[in-house]
Amino acid sequence: MRALVAAAIGLAPVLLFVLLLTVVDLPPDGPTSPKPLLTADPAARK
Amino acid sequence: MRRRASLVLLALAVFCAAMAPTLRWYAFPRLAKIPANQYQDTVLEARPATLLNYSTLRAEKVDKITIIQTLKGNVEESRRIERDAGRDVVVWDALAYVTGPDGKMVSKVPERYIFDAHTQDPVHATGESVDGDPVRREGIEFKFPFLTEKRDYQYFDAQTRTSAPIHYKGTRTFRGMEVYYFEQTIPWTKVPMPKAMPVKGITPKILADSGLTRWYTTKRMFWVEPVTGAPVNGEEIHKEELRNAKALMGQDTLTVFAGHVKMREDYLRSVGEMVSSNRLMVLMLVSYIPWSLTVLALALLALALWLEARSRRPEPEPPAAPAPAPVSAPL
Repeated sequence: MRALVAAAIGLAPVLLFVLLLTVVDLPPDGPTSPKPLLTADPAARK
Repeated sequence: MRRRASLVLLALAVFCAAMAPTLRWYAFPRLAKIPANQYQDTVLEARPATLLNYSTLRAEKVDKITIIQTLKGNVEESRRIERDAGRDVVVWDALAYVTGPDGKMVSKVPERYIFDAHTQDPVHATGESVDGDPVRREGIEFKFPFLTEKRDYQYFDAQTRTSAPIHYKGTRTFRGMEVYYFEQTIPWTKVPMPKAMPVKGITPKILADSGLTRWYTTKRMFWVEPVTGAPVNGEEIHKEELRNAKALMGQDTLTVFAGHVKMREDYLRSVGEMVSSNRLMVLMLVSYIPWSLTVLALALLALALWLEARSRRPEPEPPAAPAPAPVSAPL
């Protein structure tokens, strides 16, 4: 019986994590980049 | 005391054992996604190349042709489409801008590519287009999915506006990185005239009215880092012709462009660095952390069982007290 309780205690945070992933939306990615679509060869990258 | 410790260890072992598959098969597909606001530019060159000179109407050898490709995530559009689609969506506004050796525009093809941020499945919504023409993509474009498999994929070709298989041709090593090599050949196909022409006064309609047709073939090659699905190198052997040109240009077939297009060295380096850092993040979720948790779970379970077994072992009997010396009654 004690072993079952211990296993349940171990499972609880995992179930909580699953619930969190299901319910919570990932944070937004931020705004659209202000950089333009390029129409000229950009400088060489370092 | 030992029994309590073994129960704590058992709880931790269960936590680790359950967390490992949860991370790999539940968290990873939800957490790994292409950011909606990504901005990436790539420069490719064909050295040397053949290019149609519109003033002489002859194909000429030139030192180089440069293709400047930009991908820009349109966050506002992705949010608008997400509301209807009910899933994370990425909208890429792309531009392939081709310049001749003098830096002047040869052609430009804008595109809008809409896809699922996690799986990269195409999402069909208003605005999906190539060079202003509405299209309906099947398969992938520009990038492969996370955890790319050793199999053929459907790859969208912007010139023909159709999808065709891109074949897995084996595993290679590219600059020390294990990559999957993919190849797609588009046979000679009649394709639409580009909306933007390099010479003023010549419009796609004038060319089409004269009976000219534009044909194109390409062999497309990608070296793809399989964990992130990002191409670390791309090449194309590209040919374009104008046909039925005799009346207007003196010969039936004119080469518009021919060349072996390769990514420029500085972009190969920067893309390689970016892919290496993203690869580590994906590997943490799909491999390093789940496997560490699995090993930890087994170790904790073994320790818990050992402690439990020790706590159940009967305590050793205390040593028997020395027998009292026989006492003899005094006589």
